Amino acid sequence: MNARETSRVTRLRAAGPGATAKARVKRYALLVCAFALGVIGLLAVVAPTPAQALTVSSTTARPNEDGGDHVIGGLPTRLTWEGRVEAGEELESITLTMPEGGTFEGSSTRVTVLDGLNRQDVAAVATPDGTTLAIVFDEPIPEDSLVRLEVTGVAFPNADGDYVIEGTYENQLGEQVLPSSPAISVIANTPVQGLVNWLDQQPWVEAWNSNPFLSMFFKPQILVSSFAALFPGWLVCLAIVLVAYPFAILFGLCFAFMKMSRFIVVRAIAVTYINILRGTPLFLQIYIAFFGLPMLGIQINVYILGCAVMAINSSAYLAEIFRAGIQSIPVGQYEAAASLGMGHMRTMISIILPQTVRRVLPTVTSDFITSYKDTSLLSSVGVMELMMYAKNMTAITGNITPYMTAAIFYLIVTLPLIKAITVVERRIARSESGQGPRPKGGELTEEDLQLDLAQDALAQAAHAEADEPAALEPAYLPLAREGA
Amino acid sequence: MARRRHAQPHFDVPPALPADEAASLAYEHDKDLSTHAFKEGEHPLVRIEHLNKTFDDNQVLKDVNLNVWREEIVVVLGPSGSGKSTMLRCINMLETPTAGHILIEDDEITGTTKANLNEHRKRIGMVFQNFNLFPHLSAKENVMVGQTKVLKRSKAEAEAEAVKQLTAVGLADRMDFMPSQLSGGQQQRVAIARAVAMHPDVILFDEPTSALDPELVRGVLDVMRDLALNSGMTMIVVTHEMGFARDVADRVVFMEGGVVVEEGTPEQVFDHPQNERTRAFLGNITD
Repeated sequence: MNARETSRVTRLRAAGPGATAKARVKRYALLVCAFALGVIGLLAVVAPTPAQALTVSSTTARPNEDGGDHVIGGLPTRLTWEGRVEAGEELESITLTMPEGGTFEGSSTRVTVLDGLNRQDVAAVATPDGTTLAIVFDEPIPEDSLVRLEVTGVAFPNADGDYVIEGTYENQLGEQVLPSSPAISVIANTPVQGLVNWLDQQPWVEAWNSNPFLSMFFKPQILVSSFAALFPGWLVCLAIVLVAYPFAILFGLCFAFMKMSRFIVVRAIAVTYINILRGTPLFLQIYIAFFGLPMLGIQINVYILGCAVMAINSSAYLAEIFRAGIQSIPVGQYEAAASLGMGHMRTMISIILPQTVRRVLPTVTSDFITSYKDTSLLSSVGVMELMMYAKNMTAITGNITPYMTAAIFYLIVTLPLIKAITVVERRIARSESGQGPRPKGGELTEEDLQLDLAQDALAQAAHAEADEPAALEPAYLPLAREGA
Repeated sequence: MARRRHAQPHFDVPPALPADEAASLAYEHDKDLSTHAFKEGEHPLVRIEHLNKTFDDNQVLKDVNLNVWREEIVVVLGPSGSGKSTMLRCINMLETPTAGHILIEDDEITGTTKANLNEHRKRIGMVFQNFNLFPHLSAKENVMVGQTKVLKRSKAEAEAEAVKQLTAVGLADRMDFMPSQLSGGQQQRVAIARAVAMHPDVILFDEPTSALDPELVRGVLDVMRDLALNSGMTMIVVTHEMGFARDVADRVVFMEGGVVVEEGTPEQVFDHPQNERTRAFLGNITD
């Protein structure tokens, strides 16, 4: 803050005598303001401590989570501590203290001292000892210097919490208490991170990663950590498609019936809807919805809008699938239903749609797979789904492995469905050719059929011999007629 | 742009006769042509008056008149394309007549509303050439679906009826089989059970054995014979099975070219055919 103010003052002075009186007044006002600000800022940091005190300007720890931005306790990280030596002060040594459970053991420290923008050569000796790190400067650090300590290889306590670095320092007046640093948020080590650490130490992992291809596409450590990191994205994908699909089925059914309507206007509406949606890319539809609606001032939650676009897009495909399915049911089925006295609705619900469902199940499942995969397109408009997570993590790690993990997440769903389609298709084919599994009585074999035929032949022979009709027992008792 | 409609030929047919007049005329006409046991003052169950049907330019039925009495078994014979199936399908309005009247118990069902039509169809069973079982339902469910969804019978009642009817057609051990797991003959027997379970007034059989392998025909005919002789069901059967017609029919109707050429008792039609065309047809069949 001070450095910036100083430079502004310099710049203002440089404007010099050529300026008008009015400008001069303005400059003066600015100068006063800057000075006042400086004083306020100074007071703000200095006030709690006695005069001539070292101030801590920032303390950070570098995230050490693979693919994440958390600081994990118990794992090596780099602590960056910055303090300013105040006016009239000469810093001789600093001792940093880590909260209980953390350690400086095995750390190495780099000391940078800045005087304004100039780097000063300062030699120092850092001595880590458990939770403390003592740094003794060969020469005292002069006033107004910025001291930066970068301590690599420190570890915070392995438990969730906000931790502060405390300590002491020595100036020309003797030992002083170091003001507490800003809190550093630390999370406990996760099992995933534990596994990553374990992998880090395995020779076979090292050997594996020595292959540039394997290391770029299938790095075990990133594979493990990305599984955890991408999981929420996968859930979002599933949620979007699972919410969207029932609506898609509903709309699809509506438009299928509309396309089969007797009324030309209704048919025209359905045909237009279906053809436009099937004739344009989903990607384009997503852009239109996600950029068009906000421009109209309509703000919809991106997840809801994502579901809506997926549902509308799928409904067009499903409408065609359902229509084809319904029209593939032979006219004899309608006639049989009509002959029983069923009305149109009843026929549809009890006879036609159940058969249609069986017929279209494989095709609908294929469409579901497509829809599920196509949720990835929503990443282009900022929906935080699987693809988006993978993209982000690849950007962080510079490694392609997160994309591979995303592929695995997609396949977890699609492969079993593809398998299911095959099974269902085979079962339908078998049942339509009459070779499906049979209930009780076990399999009806060729023998059974022969037996049936033999019985038929026997009956025929018996009739021929007797030369009289119906030697059967009367199975039909006169039927009770209603109202007769 | 107007869609070009095919010009429908127009037939001028008189309105349906009053019930009593029709009944007495029908009695006079049918009494010597059927072995049906007529009762005093009986009205025909099904009346077909001046039935005409054209498909495009092809006139399939030409002014057909026919009465069917309760508990009568009418077998309709005739060469392919003679209009016999079309006539049968007109009776429950699966084909809409171009002109003429269909009356069930003196209720006209031609030109009635859809809801009314469905009421009538409950009372008219039908067995199709291609069975038309519902492939997604087991044999038992096929027999139950009409009872529960149309007649609103309870599930238990429908199931008991289905078991009874399937047992009657000899499929007690196939109740839970899907249609695809049954032979053609078995499927057709399920279809008969499905029609009978609705307790209709009349069952229409549209060439019920034509799609079957020859060795499976017998089983279906046995069931139909049993139904005809022992149930008191009214049946209109379109078939090519001469033996069945001779054994079971109360009346045989011979159709050709969309008209009823000859009708009479099996003995009259088979043994003493009056019409040249009937004779030619029977000669061809029996040769």
